[in-house]
Amino acid sequence: MVTRRRGIQGGIAALALVAVLAVMSLGVGGASAGSQSPFALPRADTLYTSGTAWGPFASFNPLRSERSPGTVGLLYETLLRYDPLADKFIPWLATNGKWVGKSYVVTLRSGVTWNDGKPLTAADVKFSFETGKLEGSQYSTMWKTGLTSITTKGNVVSFNFKGTPNYQDWDTNMYSIPIVPKHIWSGYSATEITTGNTSDPKKMVGTGPFKYGAGAGTSGTLQWNRRDGWWATKALGKKMPMKYIVDIHNTQNTASLQNFLQNKIDLSNNFFPGVDKVIGGKVKTYFSKPPYMLSANTAWLVPNTTKKPLDDRVFRRALASSINVNRIVTADYGNIVAKADPTGLLPTWSKWIDKAQSKKLGFTYSVTRAKALLAGAGYRDANGDGFVENKDGSKIDLRIIVPNGWSDWMTAIQIIADSAKDAGIKVTPAYPDYNGLVDERNSGKFELVINNDKQIGNTPYTYYDYLFHLPIAETQTFANFARFTDAGAAPWAKTLALNKVKTSDVAKAKKLHAEIQKYILDYLPAIPLWYNGMWAQYNTTYWTNFPTSTGAGLQNTPSMWNGYLNMTGIDALAKLKQKGGT
Amino acid sequence: MARYLARKTTIYLLTFFVAVSIDFAIPRLMPGDPVAGLISRLQADSTASQQLHGFFTDSFGLNEPLWKQYLTFWRGLLHGDLGPSIAYVGSTVSELIWQALPYTLALLIPATVLSYIAGNRVGAMAARRKVLDNTVLPAAYILTATPYMWLALVLAYFFAFRLGIFPVSGAYDFSLQPAWTWEFARSFLAHWFLPFLTLFLVAFGGWAIGMRNLIIYELEAEYANYLQALGAPEKLVRKYAYGNAVLPQMTGLALALGAVVGGALVTEIVFGYPGMGSLIITAIQNRDYFLLQGIFLFIILGVLIANFVVDILYVIVDPRTRTGLQGS
Repeated sequence: MVTRRRGIQGGIAALALVAVLAVMSLGVGGASAGSQSPFALPRADTLYTSGTAWGPFASFNPLRSERSPGTVGLLYETLLRYDPLADKFIPWLATNGKWVGKSYVVTLRSGVTWNDGKPLTAADVKFSFETGKLEGSQYSTMWKTGLTSITTKGNVVSFNFKGTPNYQDWDTNMYSIPIVPKHIWSGYSATEITTGNTSDPKKMVGTGPFKYGAGAGTSGTLQWNRRDGWWATKALGKKMPMKYIVDIHNTQNTASLQNFLQNKIDLSNNFFPGVDKVIGGKVKTYFSKPPYMLSANTAWLVPNTTKKPLDDRVFRRALASSINVNRIVTADYGNIVAKADPTGLLPTWSKWIDKAQSKKLGFTYSVTRAKALLAGAGYRDANGDGFVENKDGSKIDLRIIVPNGWSDWMTAIQIIADSAKDAGIKVTPAYPDYNGLVDERNSGKFELVINNDKQIGNTPYTYYDYLFHLPIAETQTFANFARFTDAGAAPWAKTLALNKVKTSDVAKAKKLHAEIQKYILDYLPAIPLWYNGMWAQYNTTYWTNFPTSTGAGLQNTPSMWNGYLNMTGIDALAKLKQKGGT
Repeated sequence: MARYLARKTTIYLLTFFVAVSIDFAIPRLMPGDPVAGLISRLQADSTASQQLHGFFTDSFGLNEPLWKQYLTFWRGLLHGDLGPSIAYVGSTVSELIWQALPYTLALLIPATVLSYIAGNRVGAMAARRKVLDNTVLPAAYILTATPYMWLALVLAYFFAFRLGIFPVSGAYDFSLQPAWTWEFARSFLAHWFLPFLTLFLVAFGGWAIGMRNLIIYELEAEYANYLQALGAPEKLVRKYAYGNAVLPQMTGLALALGAVVGGALVTEIVFGYPGMGSLIITAIQNRDYFLLQGIFLFIILGVLIANFVVDILYVIVDPRTRTGLQGS
């Protein structure tokens, strides 16, 4: 019996080895679809990026914001691009776009070809924008707010509107909506267009500088291969210096940082806590001094303005004045973020900020001021526990939430609770998981929550919409989480009015901006805390000439995040230089 | 034998039904609306977001009453359709699982089998041998009490961060794509080793302790004393003891499988290994009911099948069960 059992065990051992191989082959079989490079990529010709993808590289659908890094920018392109640092639109697939009466007219660039050799046509543009009519499209709003038809003539496309167009929204569309090839996409069903992955390598046909290489469906790496015949080489003299771009799916922050420091990642768009300690030497950032990174969005402290005492704007102001944001910036972030302006508008929008007004009406950190505000409004500490009570004597204990695991934010709310305590406001941090938080926030059950959903873009209109959007529904899925109505319908009306102002009409826009900002400063529908960074760390071992604040012509967005390549991310890539190369 | 198999099969089918029903219920007991999370990630404008909420709720069938969703779930299951993923809209749960499963199996199967064999051997050797017992036993106790995640972090810290012998994360080098080449195989094995070692070591400790205790017990049995009295060599006595001691260990293997799977999942997360562990985290974070159901289903199936195999092996290995079944 013993010998026989040994036989079985020996067999099992062999089986284990076979299993490793068999399973390996399964992995290979499953993941190699479309793989074109069984060899290791030459290091000098490859740019490794990370910090965008958190799961398998499943979606290559440019019409959905959940898509693999590079899908828009490297593969598919937009009519224009937008440079947030210079605040200007850059002609891209279109050589220009302008308003002619109530039509927006674009002229397509000639000589643009899809990577299957077919030319880009006006019909492709019309087709791409008309996908917004499909149920489930993310770009449906334009068809519900005035856009009535798209007409084409030669290489000219006219977008025709009824009533005054939403100019600000429209500008955003111009650099956000990617153009897809009609000759391929007309074969897709409506569902595939709006929610499909469109990941068949043969059908990934774009106008951009790269072609799909390998990695779809895996959660390891995604490889893009440089394409010959990219239109911008001939038209604008742009050439991509790298033959391959490999995007690495995020795992743990510590592992990503280690890989970055071991020179395995060239451009990291990860958030690395404590990265300020390794900046210098081979590790570079956009600014050589704090805050090191460009600002990408504002972190707001959103109060639920339907709950006592947060429904009182004096109390909100006292709370805002009690928060020591500088401590968050230095102790929590190691100076890689910057304190926000009291209007909450990003530095790139500084020309729209009424600075005198912001200085006069904006809150500043002052415990004395916070205490005075509370006392003046009738919030007193009657029971002597060190914390003020409501005017009716009931206790105040505000629950502040951020998603569990977001360690920087978790520290931030501890600092907030700590500094509010000095002013006599009791704030208790809590860390529900992300979906639980979304549920609480959207349904209006929360008291205080930190949020940064709105990103950098061409207009602060998106920020105003985020703060003032009306009407308030039972669930607020995207804007006005504070359920703010204190100032009536006026701020929202002015926001809508701003959307109807042409970007070129600067004087009129400035006036409205100042008026809307006054509501932010006076009412604090949300308290702007700090600007989250456009996290970008460069390892200059293999590649140099990354975007910086000082380098000539290098003021570009150094990010592979969705939506950033079609700002000036693509320029940043084109300007990179091989170390030791030319 | 046939009656035995029939009885076992019925029990397994019943277990399967109950487990799968619980599998359906658990994700839905979590607070939070999966579609709200999805919309929040989409970053569409306010007007479009409200529309999309309705659209996705309908398309996932989440507006249906629960009993209907339950029936749909079973219908899909019997047709091999695990439904769409909410976390990765556009992908089906089956696709995602088939991509991840090989990596998890590549860790689990060798780690389980090899740790079982090695643990039993070493445990048997250590029993009643003072020097070995004093060294192997404490080490085994420490190993078996070590949480997978902690050991994984320690190994990653020393062998990947400090010494740089093994890669930090992933399943193969960034410069490679899966292919039938030596280069890929080498890279795969280098990335595979630390997560494998984590699983192997923790399980190894458990088996070694179990076997050592069982052998001591067996060596005190009357047949062992009798053999020794007859003057049989120690080697022979140990051989018989081992044969008897391995039976409870086998039952133990069946029982331990669930824990091993759990350990593999956390280990994968530490090493960023693209298996089911990484997938399950995303599924939980995004309230992806369908993906969670799918992953649990595979775990349930895997554990049940493995148990079944152990049951069968038991019959082959232990003649007493066989005679018992045959009624002789």
